[in-house]
Amino acid sequence: MSCIRSLVAVSFFASIGFSTAVTAQEMISDTTARKQPLTTWGVQFEEFEYRYSDDDEELGVWNADAFYGTDEFKVRLLTTGEYEIEEQAYETLENQLVGQIPISKFFDAKAGVRFDTPEGPDRTYAVLGVAGLAPQWFEIDANLYVSKDGDTSAELDAEYELLLTNYWILAATLDATVAFSEDREIGVGKGLVSTETGLRLSYDLINRALSPYVGVVHERKYGDSADFAEADGGSTADWFAVIGARIAL
Amino acid sequence: MTVSKFLVAAATILLSATTFAAGIHGGGHDHGAASGEPGKASEASRTITVEMYDNYYEPGSIIVSPGETVRFVVENKGNLVHEFNIGTPEMHEGHQEEMMMMVEHGVIQGGKLNHDMMEMDMGNGQSMKHDDPNSVLLEPGQRQEVIWKFSDNSNIEFACNVPGHYQAGMYGDVKVQ
Amino acid sequence: MNSRLGSVLLSLLMSASVMAGEYNLTVDRVEIDTGDFVKDGIGYNGASPGPVMRFKEGENVKINVTNNLDEMTSIHWHGLILPFDQDGVPGISFPGIKPGETFTYEFPIQQAGTYWFHSHSGFQEPDGAYGSIVIEPEGREPFRYDREYVVQLTDKHPHSGDRIMRNLKMMPDYYNREQQTVGEFFSDVSENGLMNTVRDRMAWGGMRMMKADVEDLQGFTGLINGKGPDQNWTGLFEPGERIRLRFINSSAMTYFDIRIPGLDMTVVQADGNNVQPVSVDEFRIGVAETYDVIVRPKGEQAYTIFAESMGRSGYARATLAPEEGMEAFVPQLREPARLTMADMGGMSGMDHGDMDMNSSEGMSGMDHSSMEGMDHANMSNMDHSNMKGMDHSGTSGMDHGSMAMGKEGPSDPFYAKGSGLVPTAANGGKFLSYADLKAQDPLYEDREPTREIELRLTGNMERYTWSINGVKYEDADPIRLKYGERVRFKFVNETMMTHPMHLHGMWSILDVGADQWNPIKHTVSVQPGTTVYMETEVDEPGQWAFHCHLSYHAAAGMFRKVIVEGGPESTQAKTDAAAEEGGEA
Repeated sequence: MSCIRSLVAVSFFASIGFSTAVTAQEMISDTTARKQPLTTWGVQFEEFEYRYSDDDEELGVWNADAFYGTDEFKVRLLTTGEYEIEEQAYETLENQLVGQIPISKFFDAKAGVRFDTPEGPDRTYAVLGVAGLAPQWFEIDANLYVSKDGDTSAELDAEYELLLTNYWILAATLDATVAFSEDREIGVGKGLVSTETGLRLSYDLINRALSPYVGVVHERKYGDSADFAEADGGSTADWFAVIGARIAL
Repeated sequence: MTVSKFLVAAATILLSATTFAAGIHGGGHDHGAASGEPGKASEASRTITVEMYDNYYEPGSIIVSPGETVRFVVENKGNLVHEFNIGTPEMHEGHQEEMMMMVEHGVIQGGKLNHDMMEMDMGNGQSMKHDDPNSVLLEPGQRQEVIWKFSDNSNIEFACNVPGHYQAGMYGDVKVQ
Repeated sequence: MNSRLGSVLLSLLMSASVMAGEYNLTVDRVEIDTGDFVKDGIGYNGASPGPVMRFKEGENVKINVTNNLDEMTSIHWHGLILPFDQDGVPGISFPGIKPGETFTYEFPIQQAGTYWFHSHSGFQEPDGAYGSIVIEPEGREPFRYDREYVVQLTDKHPHSGDRIMRNLKMMPDYYNREQQTVGEFFSDVSENGLMNTVRDRMAWGGMRMMKADVEDLQGFTGLINGKGPDQNWTGLFEPGERIRLRFINSSAMTYFDIRIPGLDMTVVQADGNNVQPVSVDEFRIGVAETYDVIVRPKGEQAYTIFAESMGRSGYARATLAPEEGMEAFVPQLREPARLTMADMGGMSGMDHGDMDMNSSEGMSGMDHSSMEGMDHANMSNMDHSNMKGMDHSGTSGMDHGSMAMGKEGPSDPFYAKGSGLVPTAANGGKFLSYADLKAQDPLYEDREPTREIELRLTGNMERYTWSINGVKYEDADPIRLKYGERVRFKFVNETMMTHPMHLHGMWSILDVGADQWNPIKHTVSVQPGTTVYMETEVDEPGQWAFHCHLSYHAAAGMFRKVIVEGGPESTQAKTDAAAEEGGEA
């Protein structure tokens, strides 16, 4: 075999047809997509649900994000909203546009702007945040907001998924907001503003693209923020039954 | 760990020794399935040269008459150790287990035989010496003779039982006519 | 000088008598029906898989490839030794084949054996653009067979390659349905105790690594020659015949453990190169590898070719039978594999406490699985297979297996000690190891390597980034080799996944510790937490691709360009000039 091979090799270089073929071919440089950063995108509705509260309030709620970009830089659009079905009004409506870069093995830094345009006064914030995977599989998203008027607040989102099976998933979420200054107009008092805790049992119906769920959500306001809510005739603590679906496109 | 390893090794050697003792070889107590018996050079009717390559024989089959004594000149022209062994398919199958042991104990190493290991006493007078009259085990370049008197059993093959070689097709039919 | 002239003359004489074959391939949109689902894909000559290309050693082939797609395409001749501009990698060998264009490949066939071909453009290969190559040797084969079949495996997924890549980038565990659950937690508690189980979960959670991270891509249907398990590809035989099965793993991502209950398989070729025959009960075929085995079914009965994925999430199945329509028992999938801390060998940030605890845990896991495998196999054989099969695997197979286990436990020098991925044969018998592969007829003389190049296989599962030495292809300089040197590559797998590394254009001499008998391959699997060496005689000028053959790892950056500087006199000047220009760093 080795003998045969060297003979063929010699014949190959000696045979004029092949040697011209090879020398005529320069070594090209790789300009294909493979040599470019891999660009990818995704759209996810972490929550897309109907909420029914213990005092008969009905809400349509979503919490979604879309991204486009590479490992090194992504643009991310985040949107959350609570729509009061009876009053046909947005209780909350937040949109963020941020740029995202990796800062450690498991965490990214984000920076951008946030526009709140619910029923009532609007707000615009600058956003600085980190998001990633903490030890023991906690998904963390922590953000610092500075409004145009200089009001600062911080928000922490944490999520943990418990796999009952590989299709039945129990997801626990905690969302807490702290304000470092008061913004009376939108009902925010200094200190711990509010928490939202949720427990959702989902089933992956179509891959991870469509996972219907049921669950409970508890919303609570604290301190001055609770007082403001009471003064405005709102509630400070609500329990919701929720039904919805996680969606990934 | 070392103790248990030693025990297992000892057990393996014991086991291999018994296998050797129980091995089916050309001579002795074989009955109907016997492939024949060692022959005398003076009785040989002819000489057949068998060349062993990696992993096949030339010729690929031979024809003998019942009771004929043949002098085989076996030459290993390959790069690997090969065997020339006359027997029934069942005998070969039994022998293959012994040969596997020889590989596991480092007696057969690709293109070489470890002669010291072959001489080693296995504990009950048995060794891994490959000295049966119906076969030769040859290193590349080696040449040896086998003189064999065939019986009328027509289910005979000459085969190489170095692990894998028989399975790859290194055997030939002995047609008794 | 004289001898050179002689050989030139000889070669001219040879080339005069040399055959020249012309072949045509079209690249087409096709429909792929797996029995489980139907999807659009890409194929050759109107089908996926494409045809078996049959060449003869010494032939000069001319292959006209017509692109009927509306996108660029290419064909790479996997494992063939040929001029670099015929190797079919867009951006490295040539620009690619434009829609509507016909590109003519021309190269001499300088080898024999089983190979395959596939598109090297985008995700066309996982989408179906692959076929097989069978090259008949000039001389006789070092083994015998009465008939032969190509057995080409793939992991056909309902999603397109682009979608799979995007999903993996979005959620790296998108397709992993073998993750550890609450149920597994409790069964581990009852087996290993609460504290051990909690500590184990904390150790893995602390690293943010999953023991279940064996297969990125699950939910596929295993195909053999394009047929799903229910469509049951069948190869016919006459009892007593020797059959050569040419196994080719054309999967995008899946390693398969292959067995044919009731039959010994004698491995005679790996990656197209003859190896000293070794009889096994089961073997693992890495992505892009090929193994030729000889089987000799003696009974008037059917046998199942069962190819279980390494992570046990799916399987391919086919049948060998004396008559069409006959079937044999199809085994169940074994328990999913779980990584152990041993597989994390190369990981940083691992303290010794974790290692101690987990190595003992890994051991128990291993014992457990091998025992289970043995019981299971024997039971299934007794229930459903014929008596002959049972006798064989149940008695001698068992003895052998338990002996091997007693001696050194189920271990394999090519897996980390205590690895959760060490394969064991379902019947307790012999499972092929790389260490069993010895060249039948060494292609190269053994010599000291001129230098060593270390390639750390790196990645981040949570970001689904894969790289070499921590650098993705997009940011990497080419690896520069010199014509005539013998390079020793040191692969250090620092990830928890198995990577089948494929160097184009030149052989990979895998170091199994057999010196001149080391086998010659084109694809070398590197298991998690292990270091594997291979040597390459740098004997082909030009530039070549060198990458992990898992489609989505290669696309995520585990890829390099290799430039061979210099060359035989006739091409040296040109390639030198090109090498300078090609400094794309």
